[in-house]
Amino acid sequence: MLLERIRLVSGGEMHFLPQEGGFDELVQAMREAGTIIISGPCYINSYPARLLELLEAAARMGGFSGQKLYGIINGGMPYVHTHRHGLYCLQFFAEQNGLLWQGGFVLGGGAMLDGAPLEKHMARRSVVPAFSEFTRHVVEGSQTPDALYENAQNPPGKLVTRVFAWLLSRMVVKRLKEYGHDPTAPSWYLNEQD
Amino acid sequence: MTVIISDDSRAAWGRQLEEELVQMGVRTQQFAADRLRIRPCIACSSCSGRTYGRCVLPDDMQHLYPHIAGCRALVLVSPLLFGSVSHHIKKVMDRMSALGDPRYHYSDGELVKGMRGQGMRYYMLGIGDGPDEAQRRAFCFLHEENRRIMNVEGRAFVLDSRFQQAELTRIAEEIGRG
Repeated sequence: MLLERIRLVSGGEMHFLPQEGGFDELVQAMREAGTIIISGPCYINSYPARLLELLEAAARMGGFSGQKLYGIINGGMPYVHTHRHGLYCLQFFAEQNGLLWQGGFVLGGGAMLDGAPLEKHMARRSVVPAFSEFTRHVVEGSQTPDALYENAQNPPGKLVTRVFAWLLSRMVVKRLKEYGHDPTAPSWYLNEQD
Repeated sequence: MTVIISDDSRAAWGRQLEEELVQMGVRTQQFAADRLRIRPCIACSSCSGRTYGRCVLPDDMQHLYPHIAGCRALVLVSPLLFGSVSHHIKKVMDRMSALGDPRYHYSDGELVKGMRGQGMRYYMLGIGDGPDEAQRRAFCFLHEENRRIMNVEGRAFVLDSRFQQAELTRIAEEIGRG
């Protein structure tokens, strides 16, 4: 887990986003912190709805005073641009609510979504040192540059991308057939129209 | 059919856009996401596996799915918050994975996915209180990324919350024209 990796170096408390109910306790913990690191997966090109709900609640409740905010977003596609929007949200949230935006880390390639260590990442040779550098910025409380994660992740070339598309689709189709589904069938919901 | 899904918690923007489209003769349905009981996606992956194409969460999203699956154009209308849509609209976006094609495709040198078997156009309208250029760009960036990965056509619009009716009319005309 990426946050645990940072916590081993920096110390601090870890809070999990409640999937139901209010955010009072979590927002209170954010207010009391000197540094906040928000880490989450990328759903449809940004953070999941529940994390946006937390930001909306935190903005409504207010009470922030210069807390340093860092962000981490991790998605499946092996590109930075696909996931980067999540960090934009955190930056606007910080700027509008009295926090200090210190930058973030975008991680494509997905392996960490299932709890795998960063050492399993497809670009581990550049990503692991870049994430260590990001961690150093967090520990020192300094601004972290976007170039850190941008330079660590080169998108696969066209040929490799075509091979990936074929291989990944083959795996998806195989799995769907095992469940007895036709991958080319029209959406089931079209039969449910009024 | 054009389907509008809006967060009308601040004002009835979705309803206003629907009226504009209907006046132009565009068949339109509007749903206010903030008044529906829609749970966040729990990333169970059932919709791309065991229950392919079907979401297992039993809530009001089940009512929206057939409308989205069969629509000609989908318009998401949201308050512009932190350069993004509100959580009400993001819940709908996250849950739309169930309508996506789980296979991977190659487009412009990158991996993309797609929507299943429909030529849907996809629009987003963000309405903010004096949104600055950076927030406008971020909102349009989110739409562009959605559009690319869904492999569909469409565009994003941003309005100030004190917009003139004529501005909404122009947006409706563009959506109506396709």
